[in-house]
Amino acid sequence: MSRKIIELKNLTKSYNGTKAVDNINLFIRENEFITLLGPSGCGKTTTLRMIGGFENPDSGDILFEGVRINDLPPYKRNINTIFQRYALFTHMNVYENIAFGLRIKKTPKDEMDRRIKKMLKLVELEGFEKRHVDSLSGGQQQRVAIARALVNEPKVLLLDEPLAALDLKLRKEMQIELMDMQKNVGITFIYVTHDQEEALTMSDTVVVMNNGVIQQVGSPVDIYNEPKNRFVADFIGESNILEGVMIEDYLVEFAGKKFKCVDKGFQHNEPVDVVIRPEDIDVTRREDGLLEGVVTSVVFKGVHYEMLVESNGFEYMIHSTDMQEVGSEVGLTFGPEDIHVMKREVTEIEKQG
Amino acid sequence: MVRYSAKAGVLSAIFMGLGQLYNRQVVKGILFLLAEILYIIFILPYNIESIRGLITLGDKPQEIVDGKIIQGDHSIFLMVFGIISVIVLLLFIVFYLLNIRDAIAVGKQREHGRVPAGFINSLKTASEKGFPYLFLSPAVILILFITVVPLIFGILIAFTNYSSPDHLPPRNLVDWVGFDNFINLFKLSTFSRTFFGVALWTVVWAVVSSVTAFFTGMFFAVLINSKGVAVKKFWRTIFILPWAMPGFISILIMRNMFNGQFGPINKYLQAIGLGAVPWLADKTWAKITCLLVNLWLAFPYYMAMISGVLTSISNELYEAASIEGANAVKQFTKITLPIVMYSTAPLLIMGIAHNFNNFNLIYLLTMGNPTNTSYSYAGHTDILLSWLYKLTLDQSQFHMASVVSIIIFVIVAVMSVINFSYTKSFREEDMVQ
Repeated sequence: MSRKIIELKNLTKSYNGTKAVDNINLFIRENEFITLLGPSGCGKTTTLRMIGGFENPDSGDILFEGVRINDLPPYKRNINTIFQRYALFTHMNVYENIAFGLRIKKTPKDEMDRRIKKMLKLVELEGFEKRHVDSLSGGQQQRVAIARALVNEPKVLLLDEPLAALDLKLRKEMQIELMDMQKNVGITFIYVTHDQEEALTMSDTVVVMNNGVIQQVGSPVDIYNEPKNRFVADFIGESNILEGVMIEDYLVEFAGKKFKCVDKGFQHNEPVDVVIRPEDIDVTRREDGLLEGVVTSVVFKGVHYEMLVESNGFEYMIHSTDMQEVGSEVGLTFGPEDIHVMKREVTEIEKQG
Repeated sequence: MVRYSAKAGVLSAIFMGLGQLYNRQVVKGILFLLAEILYIIFILPYNIESIRGLITLGDKPQEIVDGKIIQGDHSIFLMVFGIISVIVLLLFIVFYLLNIRDAIAVGKQREHGRVPAGFINSLKTASEKGFPYLFLSPAVILILFITVVPLIFGILIAFTNYSSPDHLPPRNLVDWVGFDNFINLFKLSTFSRTFFGVALWTVVWAVVSSVTAFFTGMFFAVLINSKGVAVKKFWRTIFILPWAMPGFISILIMRNMFNGQFGPINKYLQAIGLGAVPWLADKTWAKITCLLVNLWLAFPYYMAMISGVLTSISNELYEAASIEGANAVKQFTKITLPIVMYSTAPLLIMGIAHNFNNFNLIYLLTMGNPTNTSYSYAGHTDILLSWLYKLTLDQSQFHMASVVSIIIFVIVAVMSVINFSYTKSFREEDMVQ
């Protein structure tokens, strides 16, 4: 494991009494591609802006290679940022945009030329030096922004939803390019997005946030397969979330039946949430299923059909490549490893009740 | 094939309506015929007379015989009527040419074997095709007589000796003098000294007053828009007030405030032990006072405009610049200033053109005073336009005034053209999003 480059300790930030970031702790390793994922207003951008130095935390520390950097201005942090709308200087050409910081640091002309040339090669924009940034496409502007950030040779690059303004196809291409670039340059990327697919595709580590609190930290596979709670399960992909009871280790009861599972470490008869992913449920003949139900809707989604099957008052979402007629009676099966048991989250209303 | 069109054209050229008659368009032909006959009988003699008057500008001066005044020719009236006559004549010629064109067009139709339209039908097509022209023509005629005639009149005055004391109708006649006035303006030392002196101050005034107001406006806009300032709306409202008040009221108040003897400003200065300043009486101070008052009146306008531009600059740009190590000064010079200049440079140039002719401020504040004894009819703070006003309304030097106004027109026109064609921001005005 590489060493920790950034550490956040008990970081809190409020706006007008609302806690945007609530006492979070997180470390980020060198050369990691880490993504802060969550719905809008979850505090991911605020966290990023505190790391970048654009916001001061109300309390808590930000450590960079073990040194507290709370009070350092942005340009002394060895961290650079790519903004959502790129924030290119529209009154300058591509060369001048990239040269902006170098000129302020009074870099010698020949060194500046060399470094900018190298950057333009990296982002594949050679020959674009004299072009006005307005005449570039969204993807090209994105690359200029990346070149401008990387020319300063930062150790950490912050990216605030940098692909949000691009169309789907270009976004997919840029995802791959950003990943390659990160591997090539070998610096830490801290990426913010609300797009769970983007997060799972690109990251080494995903940090799921909600209401200013970190919900789960883990690899994309962990996050998807072993969501820690209802929010993560719901936010990462489609899921069927049922209320159940953990009878004992490896045995859970929901939908009026007992099922074998692979989870343990709960108390006897502890109420839990059970997650079954739509693609983990197989549709069988009625008599072969663990559960019985009636198909209530079928939607073709391109790669698969999305079916809703009602069983015992609960609607299961199922992704399958085989289509069933609406109204047909079917059976549902899944294996013990498809059942993910999570601690029950006590909601505010339940707390009061 | 019969060459109807050529014949009809020639006939119509000889006399209006003949071509139409030849084309078997009887009613139209008779109407055209009547139009020319009426013109020849009733208008042409008058036209010839007036145009002759325009050329001679009168040859019979006013005389006093036995203590009685016998009216002579009034050169200026002759000139005005002459100009109107020329325009009427031109309109008639245009009508005549249309008549020939119509005869040829109908003749061509006949060559292709078509029967020419009857009167009712051609009236119909004319009203359909000519509908927009029909409704535009009253405005065109109004503009001709209300705008074009005075314009030509004003320009023609520059080529006469229309001036006090020896060439002022109705007592005297006015004569054409060609380019003498233009030559005199530059060669006659009294006029050339005044012209170049006033022109120099006009240019200095126009540039300095606009530039100071522009950058003061920018200073306040940046200040108000900066992060730490609370209740931005309050400050914006306060600073816009000088602009919201009618200019002439503010200027008249200022004139009293800056009054050397009774003005509150000098009273205060004396009260705190400083001497009185000759705000309006000294030639240098008077110029500075003009600039100060204009600054007060004009900076809110630029502040409002530049505030608008500033709010459209994304805050991310400043954050991006701060990552690169740009301090507040660098952020201003490298981001704010270029972007603001891109979108407001045309305003600055239009402001210069405006102040070039800012008669109100100069005339209401100082009346061009203090007087300059080496100038003819102008004071130290007079700009070309206020000098023009004095030349015409106070001194009746209409000939020179006309020359000066032509020169002002050329200068302002050139500035506007430069503004529209060379200001980069007009071409790239969509740059700031």
